[in-house]
Amino acid sequence: MQIKADEKAKVLEILGGTNLESKLLSMGVYKGKQVVKLSHIGLKGPVVIKSGRSILALGHSVAEKIIVEKE
Amino acid sequence: MIKKIYLIGNPNVGKSVVFSRLTGVQVISSNYPGTTVEIAKGYLILGQEKVEVVDLPGTYSLDPTSGAEEVAVSLLKELPKDQIAVINIIDSTNLERNLLLTVQLIEEGYPVVLCMNMCDDAGHRGVYIDFAKLEELLKIPVIATCALTGQGIKLLTERINEAISAPKPGLTHQDRWLEIGKIIEQVQRLEHRHHTFREILEDASVRPVTGLIMAVGIIYAAFKFVRFAGEGIISRITDPLFMNIYRPLLEKLSAPWQEKGFFFHLLIGDLISGKIDFKQSLGVLTTAPYIEFGMVLPYVISFYFILCLLEDIGYLPRLAVLLDNLLHRLGLHGYAVIPVLLGFGCNVPGILSTRVLESKRERFIACTIISIGVPCVPLQAMIFGLLGKFGGWYVSGVYLVLFALVIILGVILNRTLTGYSPEFLLEIPPYRFPPLLMLWKKLYLRIKGFLVEALPVVLLGVCFINILLYFKLFDFVTAIFAPVIHGLFGLPKEAVVALAIGFLRKDVAVGMLMPLGLTANQLFIGATLLAISFPCIASFVVLAKELGIKGLIKSTAIMVTISIIVGSALHFLVLH
Repeated sequence: MQIKADEKAKVLEILGGTNLESKLLSMGVYKGKQVVKLSHIGLKGPVVIKSGRSILALGHSVAEKIIVEKE
Repeated sequence: MIKKIYLIGNPNVGKSVVFSRLTGVQVISSNYPGTTVEIAKGYLILGQEKVEVVDLPGTYSLDPTSGAEEVAVSLLKELPKDQIAVINIIDSTNLERNLLLTVQLIEEGYPVVLCMNMCDDAGHRGVYIDFAKLEELLKIPVIATCALTGQGIKLLTERINEAISAPKPGLTHQDRWLEIGKIIEQVQRLEHRHHTFREILEDASVRPVTGLIMAVGIIYAAFKFVRFAGEGIISRITDPLFMNIYRPLLEKLSAPWQEKGFFFHLLIGDLISGKIDFKQSLGVLTTAPYIEFGMVLPYVISFYFILCLLEDIGYLPRLAVLLDNLLHRLGLHGYAVIPVLLGFGCNVPGILSTRVLESKRERFIACTIISIGVPCVPLQAMIFGLLGKFGGWYVSGVYLVLFALVIILGVILNRTLTGYSPEFLLEIPPYRFPPLLMLWKKLYLRIKGFLVEALPVVLLGVCFINILLYFKLFDFVTAIFAPVIHGLFGLPKEAVVALAIGFLRKDVAVGMLMPLGLTANQLFIGATLLAISFPCIASFVVLAKELGIKGLIKSTAIMVTISIIVGSALHFLVLH
């Protein structure tokens, strides 16, 4: 589901191949991790999230592949 | 027996700063991931031995997902594990994420020392870490450091010998995160703090509206500063030095020289109404040093001051986020702003840093765009120097043409090139305010780099040009290209020499246009052509290295075609 800026959510699944999944995994975004969406830029622009103490910028299509669930 | 020491860690944890502290070798460090694109090596005296220290590119884990990470991991496997020591550098403000690599290093049996860097910043941000407890849990030496001030570095060197190999069964990343979670609970205490001003700024700069306002403000202020400081240095320092001290000195020394022969022509050049004119005489001792020190160097200093400041604060990745949308249309992603901005200083480091982009296609697009549409500081300084007096519109005109070209070219390349452009995935560093001393050191490194690269080429170049001019050897080239230059671009045939020199150095090339007495419109066309045509020889060499010969030929063909089209179009628009 799509969450708004400043909303918290839990990662349910990461779609789109093992490479993306392992990259996100090594950066600390994995199944069950709680993330906060900080903002998105424009309609199809990047999404900025906070995971733990890191802030990550995800291209729009990366963000689309991270399936989350609101708590 | 330790033969080599490797520095490994996540991107942007300060590996290069630790490296400089350990070895005394000065390397450029910035506050964004991927500053280190070339492997730096240095030496550290350990007891009686001189041990090699290698600064590896940042990596999040030992399972590489990008080119730079692959390099880091493969270098680590060069020597048997009992002959090396690994210093794992960690950003203490983000312990949890950094520990993944640490746990993996321990599992695979590397002898690891943990260097908890930026521990002063952790305190500021309300992060408290029990280092002794962490050491007990991980069973490896843990040292708190602050590489910027040098705190803890001595202790780090003393404890490198304690690193031992103790392999453990390998886990999956998912299990590692669970284990790390347990460690974090025992060693880290977070103090909840109200949002500081710094955090509010950090947040605001990646939100659409506030971010855009900040970006426009910062870019405008940066541009204004570069002009203001550059002009200030010229009018207060370099021009008085050249006009009041250097010129009288030269005139006194050359006065007894009655016969104005070959050497006079070579060193002093032509006298303009009986006097040395630094802009027109074209001598090795007159125009050459004036171009480099009197026109270009002031802007190099002011530009790099601002760039270093923005880099170290950590603003650039935020700009990358804001520009991601636009750059996507050009087949790039947001992070391409880093090579582009570096390219504004000098195309060479710009092209080198396209290595932060993952795919070959993106690198080709970025390199071509930088070579065509991104004028380096020396060229820009000369454009200001020459066109500025005709009014701001001519100068802005050059930038507008270049900007339009970049957009059109990017869109076309994006539509026509095969291959894919990978997605944008980037960690945004916190804002940091490094001590001024660090800023000066970096500025010094870059200015020294500029002088070492530019000065010999400029002096030899002007010498070479003068010899060719004296013996009228250019006439042949001029005769061949005159129809193109005059017919298509509306420039006098003497401009052929200047355009040809553009291959050597752009600033000298614009300098060659100075004595020709061109009109404002002709200068505008000439300067624009110099910006978009062939890159200078130094960029050419790195282009060949980064793109391969085939890519270079492709890129060059694009440049030549565009120069001819734009040159003729401008000629038609402006002069008719």
